[in-house]
Amino acid sequence: MLSSFTTRLTWLLFLCTVGALVVHAVAGLDVSLGALLRIDGLTLIMAVVVTFVSGIVHSFARRYMAGSHHGGRFFSRLFGLTLVVLLLTAADHLALFAGCWALMGWLLADLIGLIRGWPQARAAARHARWSFLGGSVLLAAALALLAGQTGATTISAALSRIESLPVGTLASIAGLLIVAAMIQSALIPFHRWLLSSMTAPTPVSAFMHAGLVNAGGLLLARFAPVVAGLPEVMLAVVVVGALSALLAQAWMLVQVDVKRQLGCSTVAQMGFMVLQCGLGYFAAAIAHLVLHGFYKAYLFLSSGSTVVMKPPGAEARDASGGPALVVTGLTAVAGGGLFMWFTGKSIAAPDGGLLLTLVVVLAVLHAAHTMLRTTALSAPTRAVAVPLVVLPALALYALVYNGIVALTATTPMATAPAEGSVVHGLVGALFVLAYIAVERGWHLERPRLYTLLLNTSQPAASTVTTHRTEYHAH
Amino acid sequence: MPTDLSALRARVENAAKVLGRCWPLQSYIAANPLAGLEKLPFDEAVAEGQALYGGRGYPSVAQLRAAWDAGAINANHLADRLEAYGFTESPAHLLDRMEAATPPSVNRSNDSLLNRVMAKWLAVFVDQGQATWTMPRRQEGFYAAWRAVAPYDTTLAHRDCLHDLPERPLEALAAALSDVEPSQWERVLRHHLTALPGWASFIKWRSQDRHDAWQAAHPITMTGYLAARLHTARAIGLPVAPDGVAEAAVGASRNGRDRPAMAAPWLEAWEATYREQLLHDVQAAAATIHTGAAPDRPKAQLVFCIDVRSEVIRRHVEQAGPYQTFGYAGFFGLPMQFQPYDSDNRITACPPIVDPKHRIQEVCGDHRPDAAAAHERWVALGRAWQRLIKSLKHNVAAAFGFVEGSGGLFGVAMAARTLIPGWLRTQHQAWAKRVPTSDTFCDLSLDRAPAADHADGLPVGLSAEERSYYAEAAFRLMGWQQFAPVVVFTGHGSETVNNPYASSLDCGACAGHPGGPNARILAAICNDPAVREVLSERGIVIPEDTVFLAAEHTTTTDAVRLFHPPTLTERQAKIVDQLRRDLHTARVQAAAERAPALQGARRSHAVADTARRAADWAETRPEWGLSGNAAFIMAPRALTAEFSLDGRAFLHAYNWQTDDRGTALETIMTGPLVVGEWINMQYYFSTVDNAVYGSGSKITQNVVGNVGVWQGNGGDLMTGLPLQSLQVDDATPYHHPLRLLAVVYAPRARVSRVIERNAQLRSLFDHEWMALTVLDPEHSNRRYVYQPGGTWATPSTESRDDQDTEPALAL
Repeated sequence: MLSSFTTRLTWLLFLCTVGALVVHAVAGLDVSLGALLRIDGLTLIMAVVVTFVSGIVHSFARRYMAGSHHGGRFFSRLFGLTLVVLLLTAADHLALFAGCWALMGWLLADLIGLIRGWPQARAAARHARWSFLGGSVLLAAALALLAGQTGATTISAALSRIESLPVGTLASIAGLLIVAAMIQSALIPFHRWLLSSMTAPTPVSAFMHAGLVNAGGLLLARFAPVVAGLPEVMLAVVVVGALSALLAQAWMLVQVDVKRQLGCSTVAQMGFMVLQCGLGYFAAAIAHLVLHGFYKAYLFLSSGSTVVMKPPGAEARDASGGPALVVTGLTAVAGGGLFMWFTGKSIAAPDGGLLLTLVVVLAVLHAAHTMLRTTALSAPTRAVAVPLVVLPALALYALVYNGIVALTATTPMATAPAEGSVVHGLVGALFVLAYIAVERGWHLERPRLYTLLLNTSQPAASTVTTHRTEYHAH
Repeated sequence: MPTDLSALRARVENAAKVLGRCWPLQSYIAANPLAGLEKLPFDEAVAEGQALYGGRGYPSVAQLRAAWDAGAINANHLADRLEAYGFTESPAHLLDRMEAATPPSVNRSNDSLLNRVMAKWLAVFVDQGQATWTMPRRQEGFYAAWRAVAPYDTTLAHRDCLHDLPERPLEALAAALSDVEPSQWERVLRHHLTALPGWASFIKWRSQDRHDAWQAAHPITMTGYLAARLHTARAIGLPVAPDGVAEAAVGASRNGRDRPAMAAPWLEAWEATYREQLLHDVQAAAATIHTGAAPDRPKAQLVFCIDVRSEVIRRHVEQAGPYQTFGYAGFFGLPMQFQPYDSDNRITACPPIVDPKHRIQEVCGDHRPDAAAAHERWVALGRAWQRLIKSLKHNVAAAFGFVEGSGGLFGVAMAARTLIPGWLRTQHQAWAKRVPTSDTFCDLSLDRAPAADHADGLPVGLSAEERSYYAEAAFRLMGWQQFAPVVVFTGHGSETVNNPYASSLDCGACAGHPGGPNARILAAICNDPAVREVLSERGIVIPEDTVFLAAEHTTTTDAVRLFHPPTLTERQAKIVDQLRRDLHTARVQAAAERAPALQGARRSHAVADTARRAADWAETRPEWGLSGNAAFIMAPRALTAEFSLDGRAFLHAYNWQTDDRGTALETIMTGPLVVGEWINMQYYFSTVDNAVYGSGSKITQNVVGNVGVWQGNGGDLMTGLPLQSLQVDDATPYHHPLRLLAVVYAPRARVSRVIERNAQLRSLFDHEWMALTVLDPEHSNRRYVYQPGGTWATPSTESRDDQDTEPALAL
């Protein structure tokens, strides 16, 4: 049976990539295969993650998709996509990279429209296909320009020669690459394809949100030297990422269906990942991709678990008193300090990393705040719970992050912190403001804002099944 | 205007009559999607359903062909039915002709934008806790909330017209209909109500449920929905009364009456094939029933729900030892809401045809304070954890850091849940053993406690008279004659994960909840000495040495768990110990019997396989639920005990000899039997048209608002059962879509009286929503088949199956 074969093969590939990663970590050598492939740390990290998620999705779908008439197409496309993404992560030849990119989009669109008898699924596939086609054209244009200007045919060669390019050309290439990455990662205003893709079977969504939207991050990380040398472009990337992060996270607040909620969350997380790129922390962006992939794949696969009985009534919003606030604040600052220490950021030389620290501080702050408000637990339990939860989480993240930094040491510009700027400050202020606004409930009872968020996060009209007669299961 | 308004209100009510009702997923009720058309004969109703919703009313050609090829449709029966309908062609030719015929399609494409806008607002309004930022002003009701946001809805081209709408929905609706002739109102309203039938039937349920906490907090009415919809139509620029609506009278489909559906004789032949075999077996058993000598006193008696799944486990329990089993509605006759310990949820634990009259609470007793404290601790910790995760996930700024900190754990959890679900379940169970369950330290608030009554709620507890009444009713309905030392009331529930339809697998008689609480309450009532005294005065003598226990049958795994028992005598304790062992044996046997039907399960590993299914998040077919249901038998167990009913029959214990006046029979036929019909019709229609009457494939379902599912990106609410609950694959049904056959073992005259007295029941039989056959013990167990109109037929040859089954068609 095809599903059994591709599942075993995928897990075998996973084991191979893990083995290769270990070898690479020990030997620290990149391997080039002619002018076509170049296997470096970044390749292997992405490969391990993609084969892992693909393996899980394969195994999951063997039970979940049992009895579906589209099993054959599903498993062949899924396995094909896995191979294409593997090739993409290893591609060094510019044309190969562009080709894999286009093929990836084509296969993914096909999976979104897997249920061919269902017009809305076909419409969603069409929508995605056009988006990916646009992205592929932009990418091809960028790479053609790069090849034309540097005379190189491989990524590694081209990147080693970009210093000689005029700033204008470089900025054009960077712009094209960034837009291509934004489309792939479904950043606003290119999010519509992702929010219209719920016609895909659940395992496809899991793989898409955990593996394929990540290609945008891979693209930026691969071509980091093109972007990182242009401070204004980097700032634009920060702004673009931050807007997606905050706006999509706000979208998520108003969604009532599980999958679109997860879709909005992905747009937001991808926004944050791009923001990390814009700060020059490409390795941090890769760490975010990997961890977000696990997180989102899990949530999609468990998206049938949300039906629980709840009594009506808003969750109590209580203003905690002074001492609790002090404790919360101190915990948050301590968390931020630990994060800087774990990830080797220096307070003495502030750069864009400060913004990343701020985000961690907000997360720890919120965790501590929530825990301390949980009056059902005894006071000592609450006090112990905060560090018990926060410390391992920070340590785990630091482990992944530092591992990725070490593995991508040979990848050009994996970590190239941008200098701190006013824009960074403004973005940071925006995060803090959004946090306070939502915590204080300033947004509630604003029908205009509510309607705006709800309307802008709708899927494409042609992909909504407004009549049940149009629905077909196969 | 006042007269107009009351007329309009009546028009709204009338227009909504065609709709069925749809319950939220947490308390899934299997109901007939065409319940609103049940006053029509079956064939007319399904034709009407085709006209209104575009739904198929008979099995598809592919389904019929598969049944025909598999021999599930007997050739003689088919020839019989085809002749009766006046078809003269060969079956193969007829199938080809049906395939070529295209069903009339419903063109409602103009509605797309309007439907999309309405689905959007309905979903955010009815949301039960999914969104963190809910629709503003929900507490004022749907129309008011919609009125507050609609002027900002930029998808509406002419939204200016929404600025000065009347405050009251009925007035707003009247204003929207101002250009429409009053004589056309009902048709226009019906047109709009059937445009999004899923959502409309959900509103219909909610607006009629007097005990729903969400409806109380955020009320929605049909009028409010219609007012919003019609004004939205205006704001889009659509006519309120689209062309053609005026001409489309109800029953327009009826002109197809002269040409009956070609599938009808096929369905009838399919039904006859199944029924013939079943009745043959029951009749044979009836002939051998021993009357007179009382059987030996069994060691234990177990009462199971009438649910078709009980039949399998009952058979194996009976085989495992000296046990007797009974069938009784799984809510054990208690019309109540149940409030579990440590929860704010009030669970309606009785069928939808019964109104809850009491609230029973699980309250912490003082006998095991340590257990209560341990329970509290673990529950609080679990809830705090969940609250933390949810809060971080949804926070605008904290979500990013949270993903980075937790991603690794999600990766590990994902691998474990996918690769080793069975092992994970074992670990989880071992761990869960440390947390005392609430039945070990809680008491049930059986005594009337006026102080605990909520102003808005039901009376808490039961009066002494009520307690005796419910106990008496149970034994009378089941025709109980002799009490064993141990009597176990066994409710049932299911165990599945990652399954939005989990509650569709729970006890239907308990409104889609596990029946354990009801069983515990009835057991406690029956152990009450005061109740026993009253019962003995009324002729039901429960021996001193009889104790009542409660248990819960997990249908997914066939495990039966006994709840914390009261104090037992040595003899009782010995019986209970043995019973536990025998229940395990029965579980192994029952699981093995069910294994072949669950794809990929091996008989030898059946127990492990069912356990894996119960815990596997990738499993879309954890069990078959009530799939296969086709008969409802009201008779002593002796008539069904000697052969396998394949888990296809509801079994209600009934003893005609202890029910001279027919009151027990009347209660069973107007209560449990009607619920059986609801369930049967749900399975039937979900199977024959899974898109229009079912909820489609689980693989693309998307849970919305914590109340239902829609497919993919949204749109209409999908009601009914998912494809995976009914079919082994995309094309092959596991459930045979057959209408329910009620079988009664009682004198025919008594059954006739019950039907005559109950118009609604009679209508269901007369209009062929279900069929009825009586085996009359006073006439040497002859069969009487109820005919629409109230007459009885006796089959001339009572067992056709004995004849040659080769097709002998009159061509």
